[in-house]
Amino acid sequence: MHSLAEPILLLVVLTDFAVLATSRLSACIRAIASQGVLLGTLSLVVDGAWSIHAIALALGTIAIKAMLLPWFLRWAIREASVRREVEPLVGYMPSFLLGAAALVVSFAVAARLPATGSGPLLVPVALVTVMIGLVVLITRTKAISQVVGYLMLENGIYLFGLTQARRVPFLVEAGVLLDVFVGVFVMGIVVFHINREFDSISATNLSELRES
Amino acid sequence: MTAFLAGMALLLVAAASCAAFRRRSFGDGVFTACVIAGAAVASVPAVQVLLGATLPQLRWRAGVPGGDWVLGIDPLSAIFLLAILVVGAASAAFGAAYQARERGHRAVWLSHAAFALVLAAMALVVTARSVLLFLGAWELMALGSYVLIVTEHEHPTVRRAGLIYLVTTHAGTLALLAMFAIWTSGSRDWTFAALAANGPRLALGGGVVLALALVGFGAKAGLVPLHFWLPAAHASAPSHVSALMSGVVIKMGIYGILRVVALLGPPPAWWGWVVLAIGVASAVLGVLWALVQHDVKRLLAYHSVENIGIILIGVGVGALGAASGHPIIAVIGYGAAALHSLNHALFKGALFLAAGAIYRATGTRDLEQLGGLARRMPLTWLGFLVAAVAIIGVPPLNGFVSEWLVFQGLLRAGQSAEALRLVVFAAPALALVGGLALACFAKVAGIVFLGHPRSSQAAEAREAGAGLLAPVLVLAFACVVIGTVPALVMRPVMVVGATVAGEHWVPIAAALSDVFADAGRISWLAIGLLLVGAILWLARRAALRRQVVRTGPTWACGYPHPTPRMQYTASSFAAPLASVFGRLAGVREHRGATVFHSTPVDLVLDAAVLPLWARVERAALRLRPMQQGRLHVYLIYVVVTVVLVLGYLVLAPTR
Amino acid sequence: MLSAILSLALLLMLAPLLPGVAARTRSLLTGRRGPPVHQLYIDLWKLMRRGVVYSETTTPIFRLAPIVVAATVVIAATLVPLDRTSSVLRFSGDAVAFAYLLGLGRFLLVLGALDTGSSFEGMGASREVTFASIVELGLFFAIATLAVATQELSLSGMLGAPLGRHWAQAAPSLVMVALGLFSLLLAECARVPVDDPSTHLELTMIHEVMVLDHGGPDLALLLFAGAAKLAVFSALVVALIVPAPARSLPVALAILVAGTVGVAIAVGVVESATARLRLPTVPLYLAGAAALAGFGLVLVVR
Repeated sequence: MHSLAEPILLLVVLTDFAVLATSRLSACIRAIASQGVLLGTLSLVVDGAWSIHAIALALGTIAIKAMLLPWFLRWAIREASVRREVEPLVGYMPSFLLGAAALVVSFAVAARLPATGSGPLLVPVALVTVMIGLVVLITRTKAISQVVGYLMLENGIYLFGLTQARRVPFLVEAGVLLDVFVGVFVMGIVVFHINREFDSISATNLSELRES
Repeated sequence: MTAFLAGMALLLVAAASCAAFRRRSFGDGVFTACVIAGAAVASVPAVQVLLGATLPQLRWRAGVPGGDWVLGIDPLSAIFLLAILVVGAASAAFGAAYQARERGHRAVWLSHAAFALVLAAMALVVTARSVLLFLGAWELMALGSYVLIVTEHEHPTVRRAGLIYLVTTHAGTLALLAMFAIWTSGSRDWTFAALAANGPRLALGGGVVLALALVGFGAKAGLVPLHFWLPAAHASAPSHVSALMSGVVIKMGIYGILRVVALLGPPPAWWGWVVLAIGVASAVLGVLWALVQHDVKRLLAYHSVENIGIILIGVGVGALGAASGHPIIAVIGYGAAALHSLNHALFKGALFLAAGAIYRATGTRDLEQLGGLARRMPLTWLGFLVAAVAIIGVPPLNGFVSEWLVFQGLLRAGQSAEALRLVVFAAPALALVGGLALACFAKVAGIVFLGHPRSSQAAEAREAGAGLLAPVLVLAFACVVIGTVPALVMRPVMVVGATVAGEHWVPIAAALSDVFADAGRISWLAIGLLLVGAILWLARRAALRRQVVRTGPTWACGYPHPTPRMQYTASSFAAPLASVFGRLAGVREHRGATVFHSTPVDLVLDAAVLPLWARVERAALRLRPMQQGRLHVYLIYVVVTVVLVLGYLVLAPTR
Repeated sequence: MLSAILSLALLLMLAPLLPGVAARTRSLLTGRRGPPVHQLYIDLWKLMRRGVVYSETTTPIFRLAPIVVAATVVIAATLVPLDRTSSVLRFSGDAVAFAYLLGLGRFLLVLGALDTGSSFEGMGASREVTFASIVELGLFFAIATLAVATQELSLSGMLGAPLGRHWAQAAPSLVMVALGLFSLLLAECARVPVDDPSTHLELTMIHEVMVLDHGGPDLALLLFAGAAKLAVFSALVVALIVPAPARSLPVALAILVAGTVGVAIAVGVVESATARLRLPTVPLYLAGAAALAGFGLVLVVR
């Protein structure tokens, strides 16, 4: 484990909280994009070996997570002309506190998990990213914010994958490709359809789809 | 011990004199004199014990089951005894003056007699060393408090508050009965010494006993979520009774918990975590709910919940320190809890008495009706201000000393190696409590005493008489003494901590020498503040000597006709903080184009307990058809029960 | 002891310079010239020679407040290891005393504001206590982190030269604490993005609006106390992020002066680069700062 990994992981946590604390969707997207950059760099740093394979993985991760998806999201907010998460189900302060609690819990839990030999921070940060992703998914109403939460969740799983990178080759790559494919596909269709159907992309309107 | 008994006798004389002189005007004087004398005499052994003396126990052969009746004073008893007697005497003196006016239309003598009896009962609670004596004193205290709470029983709200109090306190007593039953099972000797010997044999390391103690004593102490009876009861009682209830009666719960811990030995770690968590929750929620109150006395009552939380944080730190083998942390934690109990008794007593003086002068407890009292009641303001600075825990008063001690325990625990270090997360929470308490008392002091009067009652208020002022100022003075010379109390308090932790004093004292030295250095803060303040005062005076000092209207940012109604109200002062905490703050806001007002809601009582109670009531109605009112139906019930019990005995597996 | 007193005196004399440095930085970065760096000295001198108009509503506490506010800041400064090794007054848990002394000053300041009966000052007081309580939360996360990282209980052991040894092991968490502390400094010392010292609209003020009715020497004391608070917090940040031990007194004093001025410049840079937050979002900002320090605590306790 390279010593550079620690500061990067800490920055990942900071981007998690940045997403939690901001109401502006563009800022959310910026945060999640920078998280993508961090994850890409991290996959280089964790192995410590600069193989072509590692570089390709990093570049692929950055291209997809930090460029493609944010670009897609920006396009979506332009199309639907939403700029802010107006009415989150849980206020910003409480969801922030939830995030802080998730932080403490995941560090406490990670201390009890068997060591993976990939540094002391990787597992707790992965856990915290997954949990905060869930918090965002649960507490936000706009579909865009939910996509951001979903991406964060996926980033956390990606971090988990990194702990196993040496033992199970191609796990991470497969994860990236599959998740991204599913993510783009599903969310793209969903956003497009909601938008066309209701002229807005608020996920609360989805409940009107149920059969009455 | 003779002095203690003499003091108790004087308290009983005080109670009797109330009954004897119920129509004479000098009865109040006799009552006050007897209570003060009794308190003074009975506090002599308490002080002796705190200074290191050991007193022999008193023992009577009792004719009832449960072994001997034993009385004793150890340091743990002594510090609570001292709080009871000091605050009790001050409140009694205040009460005599406070109720003098009501002599004509109310049985004031009954209230006074109950007051003296409750004092004696509490003194008995902390000195009793056998179960039956303890429970008897406990019950006497609870019932006497009920009589005191419903003094003004002509108001329906008072009767309702009394009822809720009565139900809760007896639910708590039930838990205590269960606790003692489990603890004493299989033993004929019910003295505390026998309980201590029985401790190691209890299942789960005494876990059940400790859990029941937390429920039973916790209901009395008013920890969240068992606090729901407290605000209404303390607000409805006459002010000197509120001072006694909030200052010392709830501390009996703390005493009980500490006594159980002292008898059982080091508690298991999980119990320490539970106590710590409840402490943090009580402290944060208590102060938050206090912040949104607009009734002075309800607000002060919620602050008692907060301070009980701070005390429990100390207890939790002590328990965790003891559980993980850190005697120093254990002693500091328990000692901090004991000191904060004493301190809170002093400043909360002063605050409630001052609130009583305000109520006498204005006839209202509603913050939105008060204002500008500092000009009309300067001495009440002085006493209130000192106590307010003490309760928010800033130097140089006594609240700081005990919070400092709690922080010592928290930070030292954080520096240890094991799971104990997670305790350190309570430190920022306690700091948040301090900040919120500051906000709350800035609100009370500012809205009640400063600015313009918001109503005609407040505008016509007169300074309280000496009988009301003296007790307030005496208690405030005690706060100043402990705050500026903490070295006075540090050693006795640590002796109390060592008693609870069951540690020998001599090695502990050696290990604590740096704490004693550092407590002495706290005095320098007061000296420094005084010195720098004096220099600045002189500099300001010198600068102003040749200058014109005028008075004029307050600058209203260009608006020519400011009125008192334009001042910031209590609702609006607390609104930003309430909005930060959202639903947790428990307020309902009414916003209009020209009005903003907020009403506080108790999240436990109004949102949980009463709905639950209603549901239980509805379920109970289903049983109504069973009550036929005919004798033979009831006999059938009896027979069925007997048959069932017999059947159980037949079918149950034999031991 | 002597060096501690010397550095305390130096800091207090230097304090009025810092707001000027921040304002000058801000002006230069936004393309203006700005007031001279020593403007506050001129203001203080001017105010000390002015008379006072007291509101008819006020009571003696209004006159007491500025004195207590200034005195608490000075006493709080005696607890900070300004010369990198020792403070004038040192005892275990003095960090608690530091925070709570500032609390005493704030309490009196708020009472002074409410004493005028002005709705504007009530508004400022309400905002001040709201934000300060969250600041206190963050401050204690920082204190707890330092106490755990250094195994010390007094500020003199937690900061300055003794802290240097611990940077190697606890660097990530100390960086978090430093960032958090700087963010809290901006709030506690009434700077952008929480408050704006140069605003002219009473409705948006926090600290400024509470001192609207003070004048003459009283206002001078309050302005001095504000500057001294900035200096003390800057000294805290410097003692946290400069791990170099002080070889001699002149070196220590040089670090103190350069460091506090550096922090003031940083404040100015932040003020020129960011806009003020909307008032409802300030608690979130403060919670973020507290979370930074709290994250430091999580890392160091782990």
